[in-house]
Amino acid sequence: MERLEKNDIQQLAKQLMFELTEEEAQAIQTEFDVLQKQLQLLEEIDTEGVEEMVYPFETPTSFLREDEVENVLSVEDALKNAKRVKTDYIVLPKVVK
Amino acid sequence: MDYETVIGIELHCELKTKTKMFSSSPVSFGARANSCTNEIDLGHPGTLPCVNKKAVELALRACTATHCTIDPLVRFDRKNYYYSDLPKGFQITQQFHPIGKNGYVTIEVDGEEKQIRLNRIHMEEDTAKQFHNYDGTYLDFNRAGIPLIEVVSEADMRNGKEAAAYVEKVRTILYYLGVSDGKMEEGSMRCDVNVSIRPVGSTTFGTKTEIKNLNSISNVQKAIEVEVERQKEVIEQGKEVIQATYRFDEATRKTVMMRKKEGAVDYKFFPEPNIFPIQLDAEWIKKIQKEMPELPQQRRVRYEKEYGLTEYDISVLVANKEVSDFYDAVMKHTKQAKMAANWVITELLSILNKANQSIEDAKIQPQHLACLMDLIASNEISGKQAKVVFAEMMDGKDPKQVIEEKGMKQMSDSSALLKMIQEVLDEQPQSIEDYKNGKDRAIGFLVGQVMKKSKGQANPKMTNELLLQEIQKR
Amino acid sequence: MDMHMMKASRIATSEHARIAVEKAHQVQPKLNAMVTFCDIEEQLEHLKEIPTDAKFYGVPIVLKDNVSTKGIRTTASSRILDDYVPVYDAEIVTRLRNAGAIIIGKSSMDELGMGGTNLSAATGPVYNPYDLSRISGGSSGGSAVLVASGVVPFAIGTDTGDSVRKPASYNGIIGVKPTYGRISRYGIIPYASSLDHVGYFTRSVRDAALALEVLAGRDDRDMTSSYHEVEAFESLTTGSIQGMKIAVLKNVSEMLIDGELKQQTDDLLDKLRNQGAIVEEVSMKEMLLKAALPVYFIISNCEATANHSNLDGIRFGVQHGDQSYEDIMIQSRSQGFSSLIHKRFVIGSYGLSEENQERLLRKAQKVRRLIVEELQRILSEYDAIVAPASLSGAPKIDDSADQLSLEYLIAENYMGIANFSGYPSMTVPYASVDHLPVGLNITCRAFDEVTMFNLALAIEDITGLRDSIQEVL
Repeated sequence: MERLEKNDIQQLAKQLMFELTEEEAQAIQTEFDVLQKQLQLLEEIDTEGVEEMVYPFETPTSFLREDEVENVLSVEDALKNAKRVKTDYIVLPKVVK
Repeated sequence: MDYETVIGIELHCELKTKTKMFSSSPVSFGARANSCTNEIDLGHPGTLPCVNKKAVELALRACTATHCTIDPLVRFDRKNYYYSDLPKGFQITQQFHPIGKNGYVTIEVDGEEKQIRLNRIHMEEDTAKQFHNYDGTYLDFNRAGIPLIEVVSEADMRNGKEAAAYVEKVRTILYYLGVSDGKMEEGSMRCDVNVSIRPVGSTTFGTKTEIKNLNSISNVQKAIEVEVERQKEVIEQGKEVIQATYRFDEATRKTVMMRKKEGAVDYKFFPEPNIFPIQLDAEWIKKIQKEMPELPQQRRVRYEKEYGLTEYDISVLVANKEVSDFYDAVMKHTKQAKMAANWVITELLSILNKANQSIEDAKIQPQHLACLMDLIASNEISGKQAKVVFAEMMDGKDPKQVIEEKGMKQMSDSSALLKMIQEVLDEQPQSIEDYKNGKDRAIGFLVGQVMKKSKGQANPKMTNELLLQEIQKR
Repeated sequence: MDMHMMKASRIATSEHARIAVEKAHQVQPKLNAMVTFCDIEEQLEHLKEIPTDAKFYGVPIVLKDNVSTKGIRTTASSRILDDYVPVYDAEIVTRLRNAGAIIIGKSSMDELGMGGTNLSAATGPVYNPYDLSRISGGSSGGSAVLVASGVVPFAIGTDTGDSVRKPASYNGIIGVKPTYGRISRYGIIPYASSLDHVGYFTRSVRDAALALEVLAGRDDRDMTSSYHEVEAFESLTTGSIQGMKIAVLKNVSEMLIDGELKQQTDDLLDKLRNQGAIVEEVSMKEMLLKAALPVYFIISNCEATANHSNLDGIRFGVQHGDQSYEDIMIQSRSQGFSSLIHKRFVIGSYGLSEENQERLLRKAQKVRRLIVEELQRILSEYDAIVAPASLSGAPKIDDSADQLSLEYLIAENYMGIANFSGYPSMTVPYASVDHLPVGLNITCRAFDEVTMFNLALAIEDITGLRDSIQEVL
């Protein structure tokens, strides 16, 4: 059975923009072993010719939003939750190395 | 060795809607930073996308004009990646089911027509705008969520000229359709070019490089030509072309590598669960297709068939949609098609060019120009007078009013003119004699006398005719 | 007092809310259920514009902390949103306020809704009012215990796998998850969009029926919101089950080893028969029920990892790091999420990756269809499917952990099938094991909440478990 190395796990985390502690990576590795067993169970179910079910209901909608301005935030509200703000902008640091 | 160049192009075009692709906040250029957003554009927790009807309509126009097969079941997918300009951490796009597939546009290069196939047209949303300053990166979310279509060509172009012609063609089509502004300089149309070369006769593709952020059509051509030369040099030196993203440096006229492409990025595409598939009404699609704005090619045909304009006049008019629209507006009020085309091209455009003005800024009214054409045609004013009147019309004045003010009206009233002619003939018996003795010049003298008497307002052509007619009677 | 009694009581309307706030503060040290208390006078302000006959007039309520409230901190019990103050209201907030509800606070939940124990909240565990050493259940644990302990008669929860219905069972109250699309999700901090439902807790079936009249209805801001007519649920809920065909899910009921619970279940079913219902045991394909947990696990984690990519510390939320945008994202997301969330995101991302998607996400979505078809098969013959919502009362805090179980515990994980299908599903209290409540789960056809409420009311009438409050003071 395929086993996920800690290195792969760290790589996956990096793509998701976070770092894992050693313990976290370890725990995920264990969890992956369980996941593999669960996958085996799924693989035993024949899904030949079965479409993916992405939505609970599959009748298409016909609704489209009219192109009218309705909801606009004030600049103050738009920036309210941001930590670094200069004049009207959200700012990201640039550190010259 | 001889090489063949292979070019494919991706165009991102901002759609001309009032609101964003998935939110009802306004699309507005040059507005105060972060003043055109709402919680959806900012990717705040709990927000849900809601598809803009107008954006779908504009995408349908683009698909129709480029002969794409339309998928009436509109579906969206998530493209997952992390970047500071991407509020949700994913972009909603149409990866699996683009609204349009397998289209083409026809370009003309050096008098030869060529079809460039389109792989797809799909809808998606724009990202925030970033300004890199010395003290940090400034984020403006006004652009976040603006509707885009991405037009993806097949690798059908073989040189920079064709590529430029293709971009120009798509730009013009979208512009005429009111789908997009297509302003490359302002970023409302963005062009990424994939270039590779291969030995002539080879059927496999060479390693391609991507040139990003080209800001004008002429730079599309220049950048490709430079990049092709660079790739040739690399190969001639026995090295290999590296798959990478380049930018075009205008100052040095060189392509500069931005980053290598190490393996394909996995965007983990999957269907957007918050947007159920949307079934477009067949009647609605038909209606949109029926009411499509006229395309440049259709306009060319119309100008030739209905107005009998010359190839040159047609090209000049159609090259600029606003000029052509102005001409059409003029033609709503007059039948003087050729004359009007002439005046628009030679008089109007040259004045605008000198003043560095665009036709939208000009004060001249199309119905006024139409009126002027009719006045010339009916000989009410001379061509010379018309130019004086026209100058004033550029300030928005009505030609009739100008003529009135300047007392310019030609005397075309035959009874008044006739009276004046009789007077002149009575005063100049010697000239009648001269004429009858075969001195044709005498007529010129007599016309001059009539003009003098009328203070220059007599219609010269009419005067000439009437004089000849009256002189025979004596 | 349930909502109906509260409205009928002689106490001044605004007093209900003040009493509720006071009680919420009193139980807080014991239950740890509230994340944020609202300024009650400010909340009462809007009541002036509401007609006194409004359906929730003056009723104090609690919202799960994943419901966006303009100007009121909303954390989804995650560190990364510790200081986040929404600039907009969720659709249901507007609807509840317009109906006269008074929001007294925001309740604790499993971090980002991703758990079933409520042990993973940033503010610590929520405790079960029936036994403070036991879990409340999750992810809507805070809301559940505040209703169970009599602080409020109504609270909002959300349900992605069983996050309303399981805690309702553990706390002896009603937990409703209506049909997918009935209630707008606009403004609900998501977990997994194709499985997420807004749900709620009450202490009586008539309150539950009334609440749906307020909450349900089309919202153009949620493209998955339904156009289905909002029926007069309260007046349609009569408790009549004459001729109703009820399927008892045998795969679950046959696992009732506990004599006490089995006896109470059989008693209840007999009484339902006595009232004219046709009650029969029906089995689902074992294989498919076993698959429910992995299907849920894969789909929910895949959707969740994408849904929460917006939590990066840049535009809102707690920010760490100061070197670059990458540094900010990495530090904020490393420190802002618990290990449990990191684990689920990694697994979700693994399932979404190009090389694994066919084997994981798409496979799970295909099996989802097969499970829903199996459910449809039963509901084409029966009006409702019932089974115990759990095989015992709430577990001890030390015993439960949100780990992907090695055993395929059908009985503990089957309720997610109502999330796969979007069908209405609710839990109603009916039994007691070692002085701990256990609920019965009812699942009906899409948009057939009326049948569901009628069966629930019949059960409530039989058990007499209406408006039961577990005081902790």
